[in-house]
Amino acid sequence: MPVKTRRLPKKSVSFSDEETLTTRSRQMGDKKRNASHDGPPIYVKPTIKTVPLHLLALLYYYIKLSQDFDARTLLYMLIPLQLIYVALQFNANTIYGNKISKLRWSLLPISFAAALVLTVPCMLIIILLGAPISMLLKETWLLAAHCCILTLPAVYSIFKCNFKVGIFKKYFIAVAIGCWISCVVIPLDWDRDWQNWPTPLVVGAYLGAFVGYSIGPYV
Amino acid sequence: MGILSKTIGLLALQIVAILTFSAGFFPQKSFLKGDAQFLHLPEEQQDVQPRFEKLVLVVIDALRADYLFQDEMSQFSFVHGLLNDGHAWGYTAYSNPPTVTLPRLKGITTGSTPNFLDAILNVAGEDSSSSLEEQDSLLRQFRIKQKTINFFGDETWLKLFPRHFFDVVDGTNSFFVSDFEEVDYNVTRHLPRQLASQESWDVMILHYLGLDHIGHKGGAFSTFMRPKHREMDAVIEQIYNSVDDNTLICVMGDHGMNDMGNHGGSSAGETSSAMAFISKKLAGFSKPVAQRTEHIPIKAKSEDYKYLTKVNQIDFVPTVATLFNLPIPKNNIGVLIPDFLRLFSSHEAHIKVMDNFEQISSVAGQPCKELGSTDAHIAMMRDIQARLAKTATKYDYKLLGIGFTLLAFATFGVSKVCLESLQISVSFLILIVVCFLLSLSTFGSSFVEEEHQLWWWASVGFALISLAKAPRQTGSIFLASVGLRFIRGWNNSGQKYIYEHTTSELLKTHSEWQWILNVFTILGSSLVLRQQPTSSILADFPLSALCLVYKASWSVANGENVPLWLQKVVSNIVPGVANDLNPTEVLKSQLVPMARIFFSWAIAQVFIELMAHKREWPRRRTLIERIHPIITLILIFQTPSTNIPQFLVFQIIAPQIESLWHQLSDSNVTALMTVGLILQHLTFFQFGGTNSIATVSLTNAYNGVSENYSIHAVGFLMCLSNFAPSIYWSTTCLKMLLQRQPRVVPKKWQFFAISRLPALFFYCIFGCFLLGSCFILRYHLFIWSVFSPKLCYYVSWNLFMNVVIGWTLEAVIIAMS
Repeated sequence: MPVKTRRLPKKSVSFSDEETLTTRSRQMGDKKRNASHDGPPIYVKPTIKTVPLHLLALLYYYIKLSQDFDARTLLYMLIPLQLIYVALQFNANTIYGNKISKLRWSLLPISFAAALVLTVPCMLIIILLGAPISMLLKETWLLAAHCCILTLPAVYSIFKCNFKVGIFKKYFIAVAIGCWISCVVIPLDWDRDWQNWPTPLVVGAYLGAFVGYSIGPYV
Repeated sequence: MGILSKTIGLLALQIVAILTFSAGFFPQKSFLKGDAQFLHLPEEQQDVQPRFEKLVLVVIDALRADYLFQDEMSQFSFVHGLLNDGHAWGYTAYSNPPTVTLPRLKGITTGSTPNFLDAILNVAGEDSSSSLEEQDSLLRQFRIKQKTINFFGDETWLKLFPRHFFDVVDGTNSFFVSDFEEVDYNVTRHLPRQLASQESWDVMILHYLGLDHIGHKGGAFSTFMRPKHREMDAVIEQIYNSVDDNTLICVMGDHGMNDMGNHGGSSAGETSSAMAFISKKLAGFSKPVAQRTEHIPIKAKSEDYKYLTKVNQIDFVPTVATLFNLPIPKNNIGVLIPDFLRLFSSHEAHIKVMDNFEQISSVAGQPCKELGSTDAHIAMMRDIQARLAKTATKYDYKLLGIGFTLLAFATFGVSKVCLESLQISVSFLILIVVCFLLSLSTFGSSFVEEEHQLWWWASVGFALISLAKAPRQTGSIFLASVGLRFIRGWNNSGQKYIYEHTTSELLKTHSEWQWILNVFTILGSSLVLRQQPTSSILADFPLSALCLVYKASWSVANGENVPLWLQKVVSNIVPGVANDLNPTEVLKSQLVPMARIFFSWAIAQVFIELMAHKREWPRRRTLIERIHPIITLILIFQTPSTNIPQFLVFQIIAPQIESLWHQLSDSNVTALMTVGLILQHLTFFQFGGTNSIATVSLTNAYNGVSENYSIHAVGFLMCLSNFAPSIYWSTTCLKMLLQRQPRVVPKKWQFFAISRLPALFFYCIFGCFLLGSCFILRYHLFIWSVFSPKLCYYVSWNLFMNVVIGWTLEAVIIAMS
């Protein structure tokens, strides 16, 4: 089931009135992010410090150590690590108005709650993009939860940085592309455990997020 | 030289190339002519006493090994008793793929391994090339000995053997797969008379189809299986109790089935069929080794369906020939089952083994040297058999080479023309990516089996790219995606994943909803969805109504669930049904004339539209706009009733795609044709199609075709029904194109050529890779079950969708408009 997660329609629907997203993103493409006319410059510093090493560690745990690819335990481990990542790495390298963005603690639970709420539309999108409807709903929700928690830093930053969605949408896209590409292994007839829904997509989402957070600031 | 003539030239070259390759890949198998004689010490063999006088061959279609031997599955309690008492010897028989009836029957009568062409001929039906009239077979040997053969059951036997082989015959058509009872009753009803007059025949062949039909309809675990087993068991009991010691009863499946109930491939379930030899005489000899320790039914479940001794199904041929003291058919590569040598004295046994050995050596074309023991001979024969079965097909390397080279040239030419005349745009790049992704997938057997996933993957990718390009069009994209998601959930495709709650299954159980949707699709959708003038909707109405009545009558006549209100409507409309005592029979007899009226009416209406178009009345309507609803109706007519509402979904998403195309890609031809290509394939698979021969649907191929049909009409209708959604999308894309570019009269042929280029490009690139993979993997385990069917599908996509629909039908439409 080629399935891809994506948040774009939702984003553009909810925020496009507030901000001219398309022009914004075109400017992004032209690397004119500082020549903004509607607020202070916001970007993530291109530095090695944003590389989310904990995602690789979690993947190692998931593939090698966990039993039967236990996505639930993985999720429990992911949540605190992502919160720490936001606090220590991602936010610490986000530039908001020419200086490093300060961590606002109150936003952490809010963005976490927002990410949890997002799991529902995210799951609907995954189903729209091909996941089975009547069966494996719990697994699909788990996948959606993973995707949403993986994008937690971006969600936090959107709250923090005045809802400038355009800057952070690449992280959503990265997770989505990771999921999408990882679907390729599903049709193979190797009959391995890791081909079961949603294991390959979870792995794909992690890899996508890893690549996204690592090289995101450079693009 | 215009671009049109150039492309047509390249198209012709491509077609010639793939046909040449196919001719080399699927050669007609050559066989040794003439009738077999005893080879080893012929005079002595003449005097050997046949161990049995009469043969009753009971072929139960798709009787998998566990159906006869395994405790949970099997209900053959009488046979189990015989097996335990030693009155019956049971085997698991390996049936060589392709596991479909016609090739398997060839196997169990001639003892040779089939070639792939037979699998297609099984579908294609009437064809003299599959006949065994000239080829030596068990039946022929019986005939030479002046034995009388009676036959009851599947007509395939009558296709294979000339009528004069048989004495009394009653063939059953295997066409209506939904019928479980009548096909078998039609065989069993002859038994009392035949068993009462046993002196009138020497060989009786019964071929039961019901079990196979249950499998196709409800899978291997269908609730109808158990009663059917008991019915078959009772048949065997009836035969056993009325024949004497000198009669051998063989019960066998021609092939097995997988858990979905399909067959044709090479999975363990499909290739493991059951085989049992039953006779009172066998009780006097010791049982086969594996049978001595096992109590039947066997409790343990075997993953690879191996129960008791495993033999090759074609071993049946030399075994029976030996027991009846007949010469072993000339092309046989079966090895006689050693257990049966116990029925002979050791001297005779040795002669018989040597005869089989000499015969099989002559097929292999190797000198036959005497070895030490009987076991050594048997082992040697098994070696030869394995080797011969593997090299059963001799590829014609010269043709393969020519075909591939020509296709490479064609591909080169097409790519060059594409680069020259298509603008290099994002959509062209996407086309290239799609081509290469699909092409690379031809090297993996599972990707070929699950091709629908790749098309779905591509269409999801396409939707996302559109979204990235134009976030403002979210509404259209969302609607189109939802529509596509519905289509994806409609049917199961591929081999790996089977979902129980597909839309078509839901509709089957909720027939009320199904028919409300069908009625709306056929009658109502034009009113609500299309921006057509009311006059043309009114003109189409009688045809739509006829289409609906036919589909409903067909379903009633074939025992599908149809809501009562619709049944009433049908019985009131169709003449003669309401007052008759047996309405279903009348309805059945009315189907053919009704379908004929529909087709003639549709053709007449196309002509009327043509005339109206020439007179330009009403004004400003392109020809394709006029006849597209009629084409859609014909396609709906050829669609199974559970799939009809998909056309409603199509009609909802088509305008979305059209508007997206205008706004996103600035009406780029390549973009639309790429989307069209993806949709053609996606919908083909989501209509239930796969890349396996097993899902070629014949249910709508006989619409309006009477008893003595012509194979061309059936073939054409079969293509029409299997490719119905693809044809819809092909013509719909043409409609969108022509509406965008109205009256480009001076350049219309150039325009047409450019619009056909993307598809041609795809078929060329894909073809190169597919032919390459078929060649490289020609000794692969799955070559006959996965890659060869894919090659056949590729050829039919090319010939039918590309040439007949894309180039011919659409060219005619363009020429007329």
